[in-house]
Amino acid sequence: MNVLDVRGLRKVYPAFTLDGVSFSLEPGKITGFIGRNGAGKTTTLRCLTGFVRPDAGEIAFFGLPPAGREAEIRQKIGFVSGGVDFYPRKKLRAITSVTRAFYSGWDEAAYADCLRRFSLDENKTPAQLSAGMRVKYALALALSHRAELLLLDEPTSGLDPVSRDDLLDVFLDLSAGGKTILFSTHITADLDRCADNILYLRNGRLLADAPLRAWVDGYRAVALPDAPLEPAAEAALIGKKRSKTGFSALVPAEKARLFASAAPASLDDVMIHLEKEGEGC
Amino acid sequence: MLKNLLRKELCLAMHPTGALMLALSAMVLIPNYPYTVIFFYSTLSLFFTCLQGRENNDVSYTLTLPVARRDAVRGRFALAALIELAQLALTGAFCLVRRSLPLPANAAGLEANLSLLGAGFLLFGVFNLVFFPRYYRNIEKVGAPFALASVVFFVLVAAGEALEHAVPFVRDRLDSLDPAYLPARLAALAAGLVLWLLLTALAYRRSVKFFSRLDIA
Repeated sequence: MNVLDVRGLRKVYPAFTLDGVSFSLEPGKITGFIGRNGAGKTTTLRCLTGFVRPDAGEIAFFGLPPAGREAEIRQKIGFVSGGVDFYPRKKLRAITSVTRAFYSGWDEAAYADCLRRFSLDENKTPAQLSAGMRVKYALALALSHRAELLLLDEPTSGLDPVSRDDLLDVFLDLSAGGKTILFSTHITADLDRCADNILYLRNGRLLADAPLRAWVDGYRAVALPDAPLEPAAEAALIGKKRSKTGFSALVPAEKARLFASAAPASLDDVMIHLEKEGEGC
Repeated sequence: MLKNLLRKELCLAMHPTGALMLALSAMVLIPNYPYTVIFFYSTLSLFFTCLQGRENNDVSYTLTLPVARRDAVRGRFALAALIELAQLALTGAFCLVRRSLPLPANAAGLEANLSLLGAGFLLFGVFNLVFFPRYYRNIEKVGAPFALASVVFFVLVAAGEALEHAVPFVRDRLDSLDPAYLPARLAALAAGLVLWLLLTALAYRRSVKFFSRLDIA
């Protein structure tokens, strides 16, 4: 059974439409949710967590639709949207004390471990924490009630490289323990390090739902001089854009033989050139 | 669940005036004062709580907890009911204290008696019905619902004052400390309580309906 099934998720705003997003999350997998700002990642996550009411579509957590079971399902979900931005002048101790009472599976040892691992002082208030520390506190709350699914919106934003690395270790440990993680990020290096699968959203539409490595390996990056190409080679280019020495682009892996400069693409390469290609649509 | 929701309201969400305004129940010891105004102060503290909640992202926090949307509304109504009942209980206690003091009858409005408590129930019920459903239509707009609820509140207070002068039953029996008319004042208290229950239940249902449709930014 999938941890999460989303079918035809749609939300219409005056200036933006999340259009027919469908995907599933398998147990124990880490899925990266990528797309440029405004692509619909946060809207999707907020639809999943009940903050935003979708106009259409079906959502099922652990095989169950959330209607009438919100409380039961949320016991098994941890949601982090950036850093803690609530009750900025209450001590963390007070916020945690109230929060833990709601969770039947609250794990005090896990919480204490998060406090130690993230160097959090419970006597501070969110207003006294840096942006990165507020993210860590939000994560500490989400990781302390034995959630089976973690929905994380930009969890590594604002974290220093060491903390990010530490957090990715936590994700890998959780994944190895059977937990499922969906996290949106702009830091593709984080996904390279830990993601199994990738969801790529562009202008409200899901363009890719695939294993990360297979998706990236489906493309090659090419660097081209500013000179005419053979028509077949020109037609194979995806997201051609100016570079210092000429042009760069993606090409499908099966067409890489047409280019002497074809090299393995990074996730950044794939995302940037696909976005460039999308601008021409 | 309700216990946890109420604890969250008291420990995190409630504005400090929620407790402070209760002390204003002692205003029934002022010899001449429109005592129904006392109840306005608690509605003000509920407004401050909702306003502060907006600034503190209280709803966003609540929706990350394992609760249904209606539970977020339920917690806030539980807090409102607690504050309103506490204010009425304290006002009742100070009414008794007032009886033991050598104070003249109140010349500025309803006497400090059971009718006053019945009027308090009615005013709180109407406040709940006017304020909360509008607040839960758009939790970013707290001021407009409170402005409307305040206008309705004071129109009712003024109407009550007018009734005291225009209707002999109100003037002679409800606005009195005469033991002979105690049944009438008890009936006023019971009617106020029933109306408070009905109006608050209706306010809750409408608030849940509106809040369930709301997108939280």
